[in-house]
Amino acid sequence: MSIEQQIREIIARIAHVDESIITRESTFKEIKADSLDIVQALVAVEEAFDIEIPDEEAQKFSSFGDFVSYVEKRVEQKGNN
Amino acid sequence: MSLKGKLALVTGSGRGIGRAIALKLASQGADIIINFFRHREAAEKTAKDIEALGVKTEIIRANVGDPVKIDQMFNTITEKFGHLDILINNAASGAGRSVMDVDVKAWDWTMDINAKAALLCSQHAARLMEGRGGKIVSITSLGSGLVLPTYAVVGISKAALEAVTRYLAIEMAPQNICVNTVAASAVATEALKFYIQEGLVQDSQQATPAGRMVTPEDVANVVAFLCSEEAFMIRGQTVVVDGGTSIGLLSLVGKETVQ
Repeated sequence: MSIEQQIREIIARIAHVDESIITRESTFKEIKADSLDIVQALVAVEEAFDIEIPDEEAQKFSSFGDFVSYVEKRVEQKGNN
Repeated sequence: MSLKGKLALVTGSGRGIGRAIALKLASQGADIIINFFRHREAAEKTAKDIEALGVKTEIIRANVGDPVKIDQMFNTITEKFGHLDILINNAASGAGRSVMDVDVKAWDWTMDINAKAALLCSQHAARLMEGRGGKIVSITSLGSGLVLPTYAVVGISKAALEAVTRYLAIEMAPQNICVNTVAASAVATEALKFYIQEGLVQDSQQATPAGRMVTPEDVANVVAFLCSEEAFMIRGQTVVVDGGTSIGLLSLVGKETVQ
């Protein structure tokens, strides 16, 4: 399963929404994810991929796609180390 | 007050109050286990500053909101050290909501980190203190007894934490373990900036009879005292560090009126 799909499933589970509404362009507001959902999603993604996402970076995510791109980059960096 | 040779675990000690407590205990000679979850750089900075004080330090990443991760953290401590002298339950989180907006998710998240984690960590710690005694101090807040805006579930979790403390204090007393909490009013930390931005905290400095905000070091000083033998007869209490805010007239009518 792709990183994108894994993150989509995590967010859908936490925010109680259908996966199909989450596209790369979706904002957290459109997904109806509140601040607690976002924190829980960050925690779940950090644990799923064994990475750390600093708050300063997370605050820059304006869409689901930004979140996915960041995680993909971190996972790739981890693989290279 | 010397803590030389003691081993202390401070949960959530990369930043803010936890960092100040870790540094204070280290300055009195304790070796420190730093627990963090989401801010590795801050934890590493705290470790570096602690090592500069001439004591040993260990960093353990663990989400204390997850009982499995708590088990893993204490397994690591057991394997590496085999004992513990001091536990500081400092890690905290919470959903800022009014009581009618508290849903199951917000309740579970906040209670898991602020209350359940303190119970589970204390149980693990008490086993590692067997035969040697120890100190357990948890960080609570005035919101356990006062009603603060959008603080419902956090306040409730802190009330539970204080109740856990009282039960532990009595039931662990025969094992020579002293258990207490320290309650602070709004403390000048990174976390507080969020509340100020959200308009939940306003001008605490003006409302404080002592004339300034409570600092993390103010809280750390009291925690360190409770970890000393001088505090041996204090059991199951909540020591308030608020510059007089909770009992002062200023918090009700404002500074100008009093003057």
